[in-house]
Amino acid sequence: MTWWSRDPSHRTGAAPIAAALICALAVVTGAIAADRADTSGEPLKPVTLRFVSWKADHPRAWDEAFARFADSHPHISIVRELAPHSSTAYHDLLTQKLKNRDATVDLFFMDIIWVPEFASAGWALPLDDLFSPEEQEHFLPAAMETGRYGGHVYGVPSRIDSGMLFYRADLLAKYGFAPPRTWAELITQAESITRGERTLHPALRGYSGQFKQYEGLVCSMMEFVGGYGGHLMTPDLRHSLLSTPATLAAVEFVRDQIIGHIASRAVLTYQEPESVVPFIQGNAVFHRNWPYTWEVANDPRRSKIAGKVGVVPLPRMAADRPPTTALGGWLYAISPFSRHQREAWDFIRFISSAPLQRHFALAAGIAPSRAAVLQDEQVLEANPHFRAQLAMFHGATSRPRTPLYPAISNILQRYFSRTLAYRDVNLRAEAERADAQIDRLLEIGRSAR
Amino acid sequence: MMKSALRALSADHAAAWWMLVPALVFTFTLAVYPVIASFILSLYRIILSMPALGEPFVGLENYAELLRDPTARQAFLVTAGFVALSTTLELILGLCIALVIHAQFPGRGWVRAAALIPWVIPTAVASQMWRYIFNDQYGLANLLLFGDRVAEYVPWFASPGVAFLIMVLADVWKTSSFAALLILAGLQLIPDELYEAARIDGAGLWQRFWHITLPLLRPALLLALLFRTMDSFRVFDLAFVMTQGGPGDATQVLQLYGYKAMFTEGRMGYGSAVSVSVFLAIFFLSLLYIRAIGSRLLERNA
Amino acid sequence: MAQRLLLACGIALTVAGSLAPFLWFALTSFKTQAEVEAVPPLWWPSGGWHFYRVALFDHHLLAYVANSVIVAGSTTMLALAIGIPAAYVLARVKLPGKAWFLGGLLTVSMFPQMAIAGPVWRLLADVQGLNTHWGLVLPYVTFSLPIVVWILASFFRELPAELEEAARVDGCTTWQTLTKIMLPLAAPGIFTAAILTFIYAWNEFFFALLILTQPGKQTLPLGIALFQGEFTIPWGELAAASVLATLPLVLMVLLFQRWIISGLSAGAVKG
Repeated sequence: MTWWSRDPSHRTGAAPIAAALICALAVVTGAIAADRADTSGEPLKPVTLRFVSWKADHPRAWDEAFARFADSHPHISIVRELAPHSSTAYHDLLTQKLKNRDATVDLFFMDIIWVPEFASAGWALPLDDLFSPEEQEHFLPAAMETGRYGGHVYGVPSRIDSGMLFYRADLLAKYGFAPPRTWAELITQAESITRGERTLHPALRGYSGQFKQYEGLVCSMMEFVGGYGGHLMTPDLRHSLLSTPATLAAVEFVRDQIIGHIASRAVLTYQEPESVVPFIQGNAVFHRNWPYTWEVANDPRRSKIAGKVGVVPLPRMAADRPPTTALGGWLYAISPFSRHQREAWDFIRFISSAPLQRHFALAAGIAPSRAAVLQDEQVLEANPHFRAQLAMFHGATSRPRTPLYPAISNILQRYFSRTLAYRDVNLRAEAERADAQIDRLLEIGRSAR
Repeated sequence: MMKSALRALSADHAAAWWMLVPALVFTFTLAVYPVIASFILSLYRIILSMPALGEPFVGLENYAELLRDPTARQAFLVTAGFVALSTTLELILGLCIALVIHAQFPGRGWVRAAALIPWVIPTAVASQMWRYIFNDQYGLANLLLFGDRVAEYVPWFASPGVAFLIMVLADVWKTSSFAALLILAGLQLIPDELYEAARIDGAGLWQRFWHITLPLLRPALLLALLFRTMDSFRVFDLAFVMTQGGPGDATQVLQLYGYKAMFTEGRMGYGSAVSVSVFLAIFFLSLLYIRAIGSRLLERNA
Repeated sequence: MAQRLLLACGIALTVAGSLAPFLWFALTSFKTQAEVEAVPPLWWPSGGWHFYRVALFDHHLLAYVANSVIVAGSTTMLALAIGIPAAYVLARVKLPGKAWFLGGLLTVSMFPQMAIAGPVWRLLADVQGLNTHWGLVLPYVTFSLPIVVWILASFFRELPAELEEAARVDGCTTWQTLTKIMLPLAAPGIFTAAILTFIYAWNEFFFALLILTQPGKQTLPLGIALFQGEFTIPWGELAAASVLATLPLVLMVLLFQRWIISGLSAGAVKG
């Protein structure tokens, strides 16, 4: 018995009766006519694609890209459906549609962390037949990897994305510092700069990042865990490793040396949009964020520090350790329930083509996922930070790749948030408890019938 | 003559039943049936992202899981604490507001309207509003407390206890006036003569309140208490908009926890077990309600 | 004298406590971007409708308003259409098991949304009701029926029984008695029930979050909760949108405060 399935053959007896009743009643509301209009009919030639994405961070660059597509593909029109910026809210909304086998979604932006989940659930179309191996070779191998799961490709990388360190070049120069290469250096610099500026600028803090209880907390903490040479999970994804020394050390470091010290405790309430504000207002020396911050911080219309910003890879935990950063990014994916998969692929091929990636790099500062475009002279000249970004991208660690990731992420968020926000919790006990919860979930995940 | 009257009456009875049918259909299709379906769902292990696992019947395993899960326990404690604290405060504040808007004074209509405004403001709006008031940089709370001493500004939502209290405050602000309305109705039932008599006997303001108002208000207070208890058990919007459950699960309420399990994690079976547990908790509370007050109402209705 | 002073304090605190927090938000909506971002915050805005323009035109607030009007309006109509006959029967006609029905109905109004969310979602998916306004109206009607029935039943009960008996003697059926005699008399009660249902549907969040995934269809509370700017949290626009979302309700309260209060107290305490 399939209690949840949307497959009509599995409907339970009560549902059709209820359905009929509801339909009859619904007519009364009169709203039905308006709602029906956009779902009916099998259009012949002109095709409308519905593209679920977030509110574009560079509307003009996107508008131009869509206009170009309309020129070259006059029979396909694109309707953008804007979903929330927050990855989790976006995820919930999109998966609601996919669970419903909603044919009105044709293609969507897919966060790289959803690939195993969507692949396993059948919510993303395998692209193996459409995306030829030759074409795949044009993309950075590490970027291609984010879209693969279980031997299939489910998404085309739209960009490369990983955590970076932004800093106030003017302040560092004033105090004679080179950009920090280790966390110890960063802390020393932050302390001496804030001390030196105290009378002039009492609101200046050393650091701003994201430590709210939400998906981004996992990224932030994973970077520190990696810094200590630790991992969140064993490579075979059978066991959680929160109670290993490296992972515990990372939590202690953030709790004792960053939050409430070089950073205000307010970072415990920050996601990306809140955390960037102190930085662009000139109230933070260092800032960890995703690459788009370069554009924001250098835009004189909304930033008080335009032209005074530097960007480098995230610091290492010690000079002899490798740098680490969290892998982020968004993939173009096609809904398996779309009736226009061919056209959706046409659009993806267009929007991820070399000329368009160049356009996005120049107009919006989005780092290309195609190797050739990333090395383009003109692109690099406009975006000097792409070099640092590429270097970081290759060492970036991905969050655990399992279809159960949303549930595991909630446990991780809870664990990190508790251990950072409550100073007096028993760290080891909390870690062991979270380990047990995650291991239990993984065990359920392995219990195939 | 007698016979036809009887027939008319029974036909009338049928008509009466028919007038109840639409309400019954709605209630059964969209409230009673779903609760039963939720219970059945909670006996299966269904993980939407892993269809390969099948959907095995697991009996009460999801409930066992729920009892073992520290996050669920935390969510239950947070919710219970929220219910206890917010209803107590709402009742006290509601009583005060009710006493004020019950008094006779010019412009009473305007004051009553003002008191009602928080209650009609959408919870989503109220949540954003309180989030802004307690913002670490732009917030009114910091401005009032510290003025321009910016370095002393407090990041309110960063402390688990404070974040929880802000959630309580937002709820108290929004729904005290609802409690006040119910209490006001009780106040209006107390005859003025009682107060007159007490005044003649020389009873002071406080004595009149303590010996007349409060005892006679008991039914209304009890009603407000139970209405608010059951309603605040369902808190969701506040946590969803203000904190997403953080920091450290300090504002992780049961409905948010269940929502995450069901719709973020796709664990339908487990999420249903959470829902059914919330339902049972509220159901027993409402039985209490029916016993304490409802029976009196039901007798009158019967 | 002490009593008058106490009352004056009470009035001042009630009014200030109720309005001040929202007034701060309203003041924010009239600030400029620089004033919104000022640390320490500024008390007074230099004025301007900038954020209202942005909220209305760039964030398509009117579309959300329209959706909310459609949903709340349809809910109110349907809930009354179904609730009035039910309330009348429960108030006036002697039926076995009536008390149970009333008690059960009250319990339904207290159901946590979560407890029915999964199956309701699936039911609506089966009838193509997800992402439609009527799909949202159906659960809303279910949850507003209890309050409608309770308020109206108490109103019908207060009406003099002689009128009905006269109608019955004249050969009116139950239905005719209701529509011709009782309905006009119960108009104030119906009005109160309508206002309360409208407020409920205008403000509801959980089901809207569950059922409406398409931005063009979403209602105001969703729009406010998921409000987003390009990179930062747009407090100015958010405040403006919040004021606009709340304005209709504030007007309603100012105009109909007496009906709301009498309706709620009648429904709740007099039973």
